[in-house]
Amino acid sequence: MHTPKSRFLRSLISRLITGAIVLMGLSTASLATVTLEVTAWKGNDTEPAALPELIERFEAANPDISIDFSYISRSDTDIVLPPRLQGGEAPDVMMADMPLVKIWSDAGLLAPLDKDGWYDRLTDQISQAITLGDNVYVMPLEVIGMGNFVNMGLLNAVGIDAPPTTIDALKDACQKLSAAGTQPLLLAGGFPAPLFAIANGLEADPADAGALGSGATTFEGNDAFMGALNHVKDLQQAGCFDGETIAGVDPWSTALSEFKAGNFAMMPQGAWNIQNFSSAPELDFVFAPLPSSKDTGVALDLFGFGWVISAQTEQAEAAKTFVDFFTDDANLKELLKAESAYSPFSDGTHGMASLAAPYDAARENGGTVMFPFGVLTWPKALEGEIFDSMTGFLLDLDKDANDVLSRWDEIIEDQ
Amino acid sequence: MQRFAKYKIYLFVLPAVIVLGAFFIYPILLTAKLSFTDFTGVGVANDVGWKNYERIFTRSRYVDALKVTLFFTLIVVVIQTASGLFFASLLNRLHSIRNLCRAALFLPAMMSFVIVGYVWQFIYSPFNGGLNALLAGIGLESLQNNWIGDPDTALFALAFAHIWMFVGYTTAIFLAGYAGIPQELDEAARIEGTSAWQRFRHIEIPLLAPSFTINIVLSTIGTLKTFELPFIMTRGGPDGATRTLSLHIIDSLFGKYKFGFASALSIVMLILVIVVAYAQNRILRSREEQL
Repeated sequence: MHTPKSRFLRSLISRLITGAIVLMGLSTASLATVTLEVTAWKGNDTEPAALPELIERFEAANPDISIDFSYISRSDTDIVLPPRLQGGEAPDVMMADMPLVKIWSDAGLLAPLDKDGWYDRLTDQISQAITLGDNVYVMPLEVIGMGNFVNMGLLNAVGIDAPPTTIDALKDACQKLSAAGTQPLLLAGGFPAPLFAIANGLEADPADAGALGSGATTFEGNDAFMGALNHVKDLQQAGCFDGETIAGVDPWSTALSEFKAGNFAMMPQGAWNIQNFSSAPELDFVFAPLPSSKDTGVALDLFGFGWVISAQTEQAEAAKTFVDFFTDDANLKELLKAESAYSPFSDGTHGMASLAAPYDAARENGGTVMFPFGVLTWPKALEGEIFDSMTGFLLDLDKDANDVLSRWDEIIEDQ
Repeated sequence: MQRFAKYKIYLFVLPAVIVLGAFFIYPILLTAKLSFTDFTGVGVANDVGWKNYERIFTRSRYVDALKVTLFFTLIVVVIQTASGLFFASLLNRLHSIRNLCRAALFLPAMMSFVIVGYVWQFIYSPFNGGLNALLAGIGLESLQNNWIGDPDTALFALAFAHIWMFVGYTTAIFLAGYAGIPQELDEAARIEGTSAWQRFRHIEIPLLAPSFTINIVLSTIGTLKTFELPFIMTRGGPDGATRTLSLHIIDSLFGKYKFGFASALSIVMLILVIVVAYAQNRILRSREEQL
């Protein structure tokens, strides 16, 4: 016969034992689960890049790894991550582009990646760009196109049924559009005009890119870039734009809304705008290569970003598993589709939208030039000077092209 | 014991000295030290001697930025002070609406720079922008312009937005100055038969001298350091027409990763601000004493 006191004690002991077992179980489970801190400038509501779904898929496939994901914008990445890296508190896996990869790896803050299984599948241009010495610190995620957005509705209205891919076709389109009272080309100085000049300059003499970026040869007097800038002068004469009006237009706000509203027929920009422009139901547009001297036009590809692993991570294996997950085409294609981007792998599935068929055609015909800042051929500091000097050039197209190019050389000299 | 009492006074200033040292002096010394290096924000900072300073004074783009900064400051300080005085003297005479107008004038200063920047960018837009639409509406199409895309007007357009944002501050300081003017002086001047202009010129202006000093010194320091509106509205363009020294510092830090060079620019700007503020303060204080 148990007394109430002994029953209470037995009950208390059994509850304590049960609780201890549950706690032990929980702690064992938590020991088995690794939490990986990941940061990226994609994955928010505006630019999801399918990351939320892919992280969910990764966690389902790897139940022992939990992802603690933080969105940090590209500009904030410059501010937030360097102190954490320097202080030994860096996230395990971070999104980075090549300028960041170079600086962080030079400082010994990134772990060299295991190249097995994915490095050999990269396109030659990408594998060359990401290899620093004997090591690779970034697993590239996407290559994105920069080309010419063309409002086909406006072109059709003046009897043109294909986007112009040559300079002559562009001039012809400008004349027809201008005569019909349509503003032909939004070649703002802050981004679109530099894209046009860089793509045409490098297409004319692709072998010179590295020498120009290192200062071994100068932009001043370079026939390819003189030719590219003279094309800009010719375009104004053909009625494509009024340099003084469009030079200072903000390419990241005003220019985008003007094209989206159908106020301009063409505008060089990046393919990342496809999703935004597609939300305007009345905008009938295609994404085409930048018009150039060749029949195909020139597709200006930008190596955007990839994953890097902190040298200080204590979860190196889990970080490697996470990075490897994105080398699988079945996973990466979701990101590329959401981004309207190309795979960095030669056997990868592209995610370009169907309305980018003219750009695709230029790539397939070999008309591709890599944006030199994305692959470190040219120093990042030159980018801003090109944007500034092209704006100044558009404001005064009587200026000698060499005056513009000598400014680019000055920046190279300062590096 | 007496000796201890003599030094006790220093104990009371110690907390302030520690705070000043840790949060003001040390960062400045660290910036000065970094300015002689090629620091990229991470890793090791290598000594480069005076190279960063040499670059600043031998490249025209930095001297141009200095000129832009000084010219922008001149425009803002002169027009903002004059407008603030105008609004304050007007409101000082309109008691019934003074508080309402003061709050209305102050409102833009409470708004975020980002919002103000985007609103004014839209107003100045060459395509269907508010200002050009207004000019077209009143038959002044010939005056339409690409306000922030034209190097001749961009700095003035930015200065106008800046003044619009901060004129409320200037007005509030002048109104506080007006509140300190004895009523008897005004009444005596009226009995003597002076005109409103004479009272303004010979009584109010001299007695508002301390308000002038505060307004001019504060707006000069604030404007010399400005980067927000040029960053949001023009990114320093077109072709450097609105590129202030502060904007150069931001560009050098984030994007170019030249922390050492940006530190050298910061030191140059600090010296500029100190020299201008000191000279201004000295001149304005001596003017106060003369009045």
